[in-house]
Amino acid sequence: MTPFLLRTDDLLRGRFGADETPLRRVLPHLFLSVLLFGIAYGAVMGAFGGVRGERALQVLYSAVKVPLLLLATFAVSLPSFFVLNTILGVRDDFRLVLQGLVATQAGLTIILASLAPFTAFWYASVASYDAALLFNAFVFGLASVAAQWLLRRFYRPLIERDPRHRLLLRAWIVIFAFVGIQMAWVLRPFIGDPHTPTHFFRTDAWGNAYVVIARLLLRAAGI
Amino acid sequence: MLKWIRALDRVLKGEATSTAALRTGRFDIPLGGLSLVGLLLGVFYGVCMGVYAVITRFHRPDAYMGYQQLAASAVKVPLLFFLTLVITLPSLYVFNALVGSRLSFLTVLRLLVAALGVMLALLASFGTILVFFTISTSSYSFMVLLNVVMFAVSGMLGLAFLLQTLHRLSVAQESLPPETPLPQTEPNASPPGETPPQALPPAEDIYPPLDPTQSLGAGARRRRPGPLDRPEGQMLGKHVRTVFRIWVLVFGLVGAQMGWVLRPFIGTPNRAFTFLRPRESNFFEAVYGRMVDLVSPDASSRSWQRK
Repeated sequence: MTPFLLRTDDLLRGRFGADETPLRRVLPHLFLSVLLFGIAYGAVMGAFGGVRGERALQVLYSAVKVPLLLLATFAVSLPSFFVLNTILGVRDDFRLVLQGLVATQAGLTIILASLAPFTAFWYASVASYDAALLFNAFVFGLASVAAQWLLRRFYRPLIERDPRHRLLLRAWIVIFAFVGIQMAWVLRPFIGDPHTPTHFFRTDAWGNAYVVIARLLLRAAGI
Repeated sequence: MLKWIRALDRVLKGEATSTAALRTGRFDIPLGGLSLVGLLLGVFYGVCMGVYAVITRFHRPDAYMGYQQLAASAVKVPLLFFLTLVITLPSLYVFNALVGSRLSFLTVLRLLVAALGVMLALLASFGTILVFFTISTSSYSFMVLLNVVMFAVSGMLGLAFLLQTLHRLSVAQESLPPETPLPQTEPNASPPGETPPQALPPAEDIYPPLDPTQSLGAGARRRRPGPLDRPEGQMLGKHVRTVFRIWVLVFGLVGAQMGWVLRPFIGTPNRAFTFLRPRESNFFEAVYGRMVDLVSPDASSRSWQRK
C-alpha cells in the first residue's frame, strides 16, 4: 500500500516516467489508480440520496460508473489519436504519449478523490438536487482543468522535441472532451435524484448531449 | 496480408514518401496489397455506419431492412472511394503532365491509392467513436453530421498527404544526384520580379544521408519529417501548386457529391431500404437541411425519432 501511495505522490509531483521504467510496468499501476480513486469519488458522488436501503445501490452504481466513464472514453478515443500521431509523423514518441495520457487519467481521478470531501460536505449542507448537480459539474470542471495542467507537463518535453505535439495535444483534448461529454450523458444518472427510483441507466432517454445543448441554447436565445 | 498492412503503416509513418526514399528510385508501394487493405478498412467503416440502421429497426417488423442497410453500407464506403478515384485519376494525370511534371501514370496511380489509404485508415480509426455515438444517439441528423465531419477530417488530411507527396515527388524527380547542391534553376522557378529563393542549403541538410547509422542519431530521428510536412528549402513553381490545389478542391467536391449520389449510407429510420435513392438535391443543401433539423425543436420530420 505504501509503495502505491508513494508512486501516486510521484505522479502528482511530475516525477513520474522520468526514469526509463518499461511501459508495461507503469501502466498497471496507473490503471489501478484510475480504478481505486475513481471508485472513491463515485461512491461519494452517489451518496446524495442517502446510503441506506435502496439508495446504497446508487452509491454502488456511481462508484462503478466514474472509472467506467474515464476508461470507456479513453478506449473509444485512443484509436483515432493513435492514427493521428502516426500520420503526423511522431509515432516513435507514442510510448511516452500513452504514458502521459494514462497518467493524466490517473491524475484526474486522484484530484477528484481529493475533492470528494467537499462534495460530501456540500451534500450534507444543501438539499437541492439541482445544486448537487451544479456542484458536481463544478468539481469535474475543476479536476479537468487541473489534470490538463498535468497533461501539459507531460507534453512539454515532447513539444520541445517536436512542435507537432502541440497540435496533437489540442486534438486529444478536443476528441476526449467530445466523446467524454456524450459518455457522461449516456451513463447518467451519477448523482441520483432522491425522488426517482434507483436505476443503473435512465430508462427514459439515451439521447444526445449535443442535440440537447443546442436546443437549450436556441430556446434561451428565444429562437 | 501482414506485409500489406506494414506497407500501409510505412505510408502512414511517412517512410514510404520521405524525400530520401523517393530519390532512391520510384515511389514504391504494393498497389494491389494496399488497395486490399484500404478495401477492408472501408468495409469496416461501412459496417460502423450501418449499425445505426440495425439499431433503429431492432424490434420492428422491418428489422431485416437494417441488416440490408448494414450490408449496403459496407459495400458502398469502399465503392465511394473507388469511384472518386476513377473519376479524378485521369484529370490528375493529365494536368500533372501538362504542368511539366515527369511522373508516370503508374506513379500517379500509386500516389492516389496511397492517399486513399491514408484517408481510409483515419476514417476506420474514427469507427469506435462513431459506433459509440450510434449506440447512444437517436437523432438521425446528428449521425449524418457526425459522419460528414469524420469524412471531412480524414479527407482533408488525406489530401494534405497527397499534395505534400506530389510536391516531394516532383522535387525529387527534378533534382540532381545527392553529391551536388540543389539545382538553382527549376523548370518552374518563380518568375523574375518576385522575391528570389533563399540560398539553398547543401543537399546534405535537406536529404539526410541514406545510411541510417551514419548521422540519424536519437535526436535526429525524432525530428524526422512526417508525411504531412513540407521538406524545407524546396520550392515548386507557383502555377504548379495552384493547379494541384485546384485539383485537390475538385477531388473534395467530387467525393462529397459522390457520397450524396451513393446515399443512403446510414438509413433514415422509417424509410424503406433501397440501395440507391432517386436523383434529387445535392450534398451541401442536404447538410444544411440536417443542421437546421438538428436544432429545430418541432420539425415534423422528426416524427420517426425513437420513442
